[in-house]
Amino acid sequence: MPLGPKSSAINIHGTTVTDSSHNVPRTPTNITIHPVALFSILDHYLRRTDAQDRVIGTLLGTRHDNEVEVRSSFAVLHSETDEQVAVDMDYHRTMYELHHKVNPKEVIVGWYSTGSNLNTYSALIQNFYSQETSPHQAIHVSVNTGTEEGQEAGVKAYISSPVGVNPKPENCVFVPVPVELRFHDAERSGLDLLANTASLPAATTAQPVADLEIIERALVSVSDMLDRVLTYVRAVLAGEKKGDPAIGRYLMDTLGASTEDLEKGGFNTSLQDTLMISYLANLVRAQAEVSSRLALTAAS
Amino acid sequence: MAATSMAAALAASLPAPSATISVAAPSYEAIPASMAKVIDIEADIPLTCVQLDGLVVTKIIKHAREAPSSTAHGLLLGLDLDGILEVSNSFPLPHRVGDDDDKSSKSSARHQASMLRSLKEVQADDSVIGFYQATTLGAFFNQTLVDTQAIHQDKLRHGGIVIVHDLSQTARGNASFHAYRLTGAFLDAYKKSNFSTASLMSHRLTFSSILEEVPLKIRTNPLLSAFLGKLTETSDEGLPSATIGANSGLAPSFSVLDLGTGGVARNLEQIIEAVDNYRTEEGNLSYLTRQIARERSKAENYIAKRKEENVGRVAQGLAPLPEEDVTRLFKIPAEPSRLESMLILGQIDAYGKSLAGTASTGLVKMYAANASTDV
Repeated sequence: MPLGPKSSAINIHGTTVTDSSHNVPRTPTNITIHPVALFSILDHYLRRTDAQDRVIGTLLGTRHDNEVEVRSSFAVLHSETDEQVAVDMDYHRTMYELHHKVNPKEVIVGWYSTGSNLNTYSALIQNFYSQETSPHQAIHVSVNTGTEEGQEAGVKAYISSPVGVNPKPENCVFVPVPVELRFHDAERSGLDLLANTASLPAATTAQPVADLEIIERALVSVSDMLDRVLTYVRAVLAGEKKGDPAIGRYLMDTLGASTEDLEKGGFNTSLQDTLMISYLANLVRAQAEVSSRLALTAAS
Repeated sequence: MAATSMAAALAASLPAPSATISVAAPSYEAIPASMAKVIDIEADIPLTCVQLDGLVVTKIIKHAREAPSSTAHGLLLGLDLDGILEVSNSFPLPHRVGDDDDKSSKSSARHQASMLRSLKEVQADDSVIGFYQATTLGAFFNQTLVDTQAIHQDKLRHGGIVIVHDLSQTARGNASFHAYRLTGAFLDAYKKSNFSTASLMSHRLTFSSILEEVPLKIRTNPLLSAFLGKLTETSDEGLPSATIGANSGLAPSFSVLDLGTGGVARNLEQIIEAVDNYRTEEGNLSYLTRQIARERSKAENYIAKRKEENVGRVAQGLAPLPEEDVTRLFKIPAEPSRLESMLILGQIDAYGKSLAGTASTGLVKMYAANASTDV
């Protein structure tokens, strides 16, 4: 899933590296971000001091072949003035160790900053993080929070390469890398919950939500989609629109799903199982309740 | 044992309440009248609601999913304002390995202290207001939770809360969070560490009255809302209208409509396991009870005998024998604690509840699917 506005950059993927160069660290060609990292960045941005234009922090994650997976992030203290930039290294180290203790799999993969301008200081910080992540390349994720007028919220990721005849730390080229939001399927409902909350005017929802309510929501959304598809199909049939063969193929695959199994008595068997389980569950609960009440009267 | 170690670790890391008050007291400034109702230094306003920030929601879910064991826990940070406890941040606690109790509890306390210090430096909230715990299939009752919460109750403002997250329910498509705190009755019994039958009766304790639920709300701050709005927004540039949704950051998912009942077998297994545990515990209890009864009847027999003898001796004109050394002769064991069996019952109930929930939604989905095939 892409994050933010489309970029015009062309990302060239080299041929897959063969086994002979196994020890050479590979250039990341794809970056994925877990929502936690993203939300932490936003939270850090909210809590910045007035003097801070942007905030920076460390990204933690894992590396697979050519892919960097950013799984969490933490804020790092830094100060920028016209003359100099300073990053609190001690703080960065302490925080990394604290995180590492809880989740040993996550290592430093790069750094983030808010706002989308890349300047000399970015290059210097990038240089610092490259030392932290060596021999791997450090990645830089810039999160545009979209709070400034005329700017769209979005996430961009870069890797750097030195530039010039004599490479200097303050000079580098930031090469854009495609970035995607990624999370585990099990975490999906949590995000849905947040997205749902965010869309409400008060931005709060009461918990817990009943299972049926969620099912209803999903059904309504399916029904909306069917309506939309129906309008499209009617329009194509009436000749108002030109049919897209790809869409037709998708519709065929989706709607052609067979329900034969349900019709052939599968429904009744399954129904009996479910009823049995329901009965059993209630029986267990009743027993537990009775047992706890009995414990109260035992002595009398 | 792990329970006490975590409890000790927490106790060590939390600031003593008296110390904070003594620091805060001299620096009073007149609280403006408009805020007087909202600011309560002594935590007088009772909690009515817990408000969970979006960041914490994702943090807990991520930690719960990645934790090596089924129980993941961490601390909640935030503050309370006018009866609403705002949870604005959280961090996971390291998973305990091995049984090196003392060392691990110390390192855990150090971990918390330095984490809190570090968070304070970047202007994040750094006051501990409770902890969270992840469970599967709803059974979160255990000794650790109760011990930790009991410590918090003394140390934290408003006694602290525990937020329970059910991972299996989240996987089924309904992310659920519950906030709890200990009830007064349970706390009273816990402080006396007396869970004998008589104590349970006087406090009217069953598993359902150990914890009381506090209403919980999820909130996303405006920045997060805007960002999420951006993610879910559909950008259908150059694509036909029928494929809307494919290009947004968060495509809709329909995992809730899944007819499969994969988790049921696991749920049933756990019920059986819990019932077995309960039986063992009950066996222990009844053994202890029998032993008590035996000792007691022995002691009573002895006293009766002594009394009879004394009556005889008095009749013969001799001095009666002393009667007070019974307690020394017969050691009557203390009445066993019923806390463990109560907690296990709570687990059984929770498993049952989650099973019933699965079954009932399963029924609805099956009939819905059946109805749609008839059309």
